Amino acid sequence: MKMKLLRSKKWKVFLISLALVGLQTGLVFAQQIRVVTTWPALADITRQIGKELVNVDSLATGVEDPHGVPMKPSFVPRLNRADVLVLIGLEDEHSWLPALLEVANNPKILLGRPGYIDCSIGVSVLEAPTLVDRSEGDLHPRGNPHYLLDPVRAKIVAQNIATGLSRNFPQYQATFEKNLKAYTAELDNWIARWEKMGAPLRGVKFVEYHPEWIYLADRFGMKRIGSVELKPGIEPTPNHIVQLVQNIKQDKAQLLIYGSQNPRVPQQIASETGIKVVRLYSGGGNQPETDTYIKWIDYTVRTLVQAVS
Amino acid sequence: MDLCQTRLQTTSAVFVLCLVILFPRVGLSQEDATQALRKQLGEIQNQLKSALDRIDQLEKEKSSSSDRLGQVEKSVQAVQSAPSALNPSMGLVLDANIQKRGTAGGLFDFRSAELGIAASIDPFARMYSFINGTKDGVEVDEAAAITTSLPYNLTAKGGRFLADFGRFPKYHEHELPFVNEPLSIDRMVGGETQADGAELYYLFPTPFFMRATFGAVNKMGEGNDRIDNTVLRSGSQFTYLGRLNTYFDLTDNHSIELGTSLAYTPSVRLAGDVSGGSRMLNGVDLTYRYQPLGSSVYQGLTWGSEFYANSERFPFDIEVPNEDDPSILETRTVGKRQQSYGGYSYVDFKLNKNWSTGFLLDYAPVIDNPRQRTLSYSPYLTWNISEFNRLRFQYSYLSNNFKADKAEKGNQFFVQWTTVIGAHTHGFLTR
Repeated sequence: MKMKLLRSKKWKVFLISLALVGLQTGLVFAQQIRVVTTWPALADITRQIGKELVNVDSLATGVEDPHGVPMKPSFVPRLNRADVLVLIGLEDEHSWLPALLEVANNPKILLGRPGYIDCSIGVSVLEAPTLVDRSEGDLHPRGNPHYLLDPVRAKIVAQNIATGLSRNFPQYQATFEKNLKAYTAELDNWIARWEKMGAPLRGVKFVEYHPEWIYLADRFGMKRIGSVELKPGIEPTPNHIVQLVQNIKQDKAQLLIYGSQNPRVPQQIASETGIKVVRLYSGGGNQPETDTYIKWIDYTVRTLVQAVS
Repeated sequence: MDLCQTRLQTTSAVFVLCLVILFPRVGLSQEDATQALRKQLGEIQNQLKSALDRIDQLEKEKSSSSDRLGQVEKSVQAVQSAPSALNPSMGLVLDANIQKRGTAGGLFDFRSAELGIAASIDPFARMYSFINGTKDGVEVDEAAAITTSLPYNLTAKGGRFLADFGRFPKYHEHELPFVNEPLSIDRMVGGETQADGAELYYLFPTPFFMRATFGAVNKMGEGNDRIDNTVLRSGSQFTYLGRLNTYFDLTDNHSIELGTSLAYTPSVRLAGDVSGGSRMLNGVDLTYRYQPLGSSVYQGLTWGSEFYANSERFPFDIEVPNEDDPSILETRTVGKRQQSYGGYSYVDFKLNKNWSTGFLLDYAPVIDNPRQRTLSYSPYLTWNISEFNRLRFQYSYLSNNFKADKAEKGNQFFVQWTTVIGAHTHGFLTR
């Protein structure tokens, strides 16, 4: 009888402890800000700003075509529960995100609401088209959205994320600002290192599959001489490839950069011109060596330098 | 002005430096001269540094001024274009084809020019409309308002819309992966699920996607002419809708989507059918997708199937003996419940970014006489010239077990051209 009582007491203590632990864990989860980002690189920057205050989830994995992320219904519950949404903007996500937001039933993260954190605000945008017409391909009317590839512009992105988080959770503003300052300082150190590391890229002529690399090229002094696509989003015609091959030979282009696109055409061009083909993704996060923003840019710069040296 | 002064200072400094370098020994001892030179060089270096700093500062100010100017210009442009900026986004879809149907002949078929308009109404709702021009006239295909801020994961829609029944029945025909709507949808659902009424959606707070739809409409189906859309009716004569839709990622690249739908009309009274009765249309849909994340633009496979069951009373004539003279047979119209089952299955392969191919198998009963049915086989090939320009080639073979119209049997050939201008949206329901 005594033993039974003891067992029963122990059992009660165990259950109460379990409940307390569960409650505590629940509280920790409850306190965390639920952030959904469109791309992994944004997820990492948000983690650096929010640290333990945020629980960040990226919809894309980083290997997807930048404008062809499948519109999966499994994204809907994630968007439904989000406190804030962090995105690239400049119509980068136009083909999949707006339709998901329409069914996600989360007014907090709709366009124009405080939870909608558009990281392109204040970023100096390149290649804003002077003629917005579909005869020019699948254009982004407000400019090229692949600015994350420039680490200097990424500092503005970090600032936007910190501002957006503070707007929604002003009680943590001081923490976000402190983390932003530390991350910006870390980025500055890396930028100085990348500038030295990327010195061999200055003046390097390159071809890209899709206009994704202009910000990186601008930062490291590379010169784009053409794109595999006929126009943004339009697959090349045979005539275009012939012309591109001539240009590569004439301008002595050294690199052809492609990402999620089909490798067949880059390989064909390489076999005709001897140009070095490099596969790099413009979303980050798809492999262990690119799972943080800094590691991704570092890997990208190192890969390009190795390719030209 | 500042820039000129700085440049003048720099030039003077460089001139002095040259003089010093060229005439080092004039009037000085060697040691003094060296020290003096060092001093002068130091001063010149300082001057050069401050001059360069000043140049940098001026360049920055200049660039910041142009940025500010750019911002002002943009702001002025925004104000000037504010009235037009509030216009809804618009797009026009042209769907035309050339076809040859059986032994009946061919036709250039202008199927539709569909004008799509959409915008937010206010912070609480948005609205969209599709106005469809066909060879038969112009019709408002859809015009509906949808809430954006209801609590408890609810969304309400009202107006004229394609009701949330099944998968392909709520697609506009040009959005289908093949040229024509499957005949099973046409006969059993009544074509596109156009309906005047209201729908309420509920998104379950589950970790996976699950959504329920409830609706009440006058009638469902653009081609359903058994019910008049315009007359007043009792509660039992509306059509009530329900749908449950869920989705699972099997892996990053494979997914499955399931749906079940119901359209129930408690009382349908057709001309000549004295008693009337209910109509129950059920649907089950299953879609499997293979979308390799890293190359979903170039590769993919979709297998989709839908099955329908319809239970409805239809009037038909019987011959009964005359009450006064049983030797005389007279015709009387009575209602009889008919159960019909049909559906389709298709598979679509993405060959590369521009080309895809597939095959559609369709089983379509005649709902008022389910013993009669049409079985059709349709291989097709799609060339997406760009995202907004598409050519499709389709062959269909229609096999009927009854005497059908010449145009509705045998070999059919289609070449369809679909183009889009203006704003385009990829709706979630028609993804």
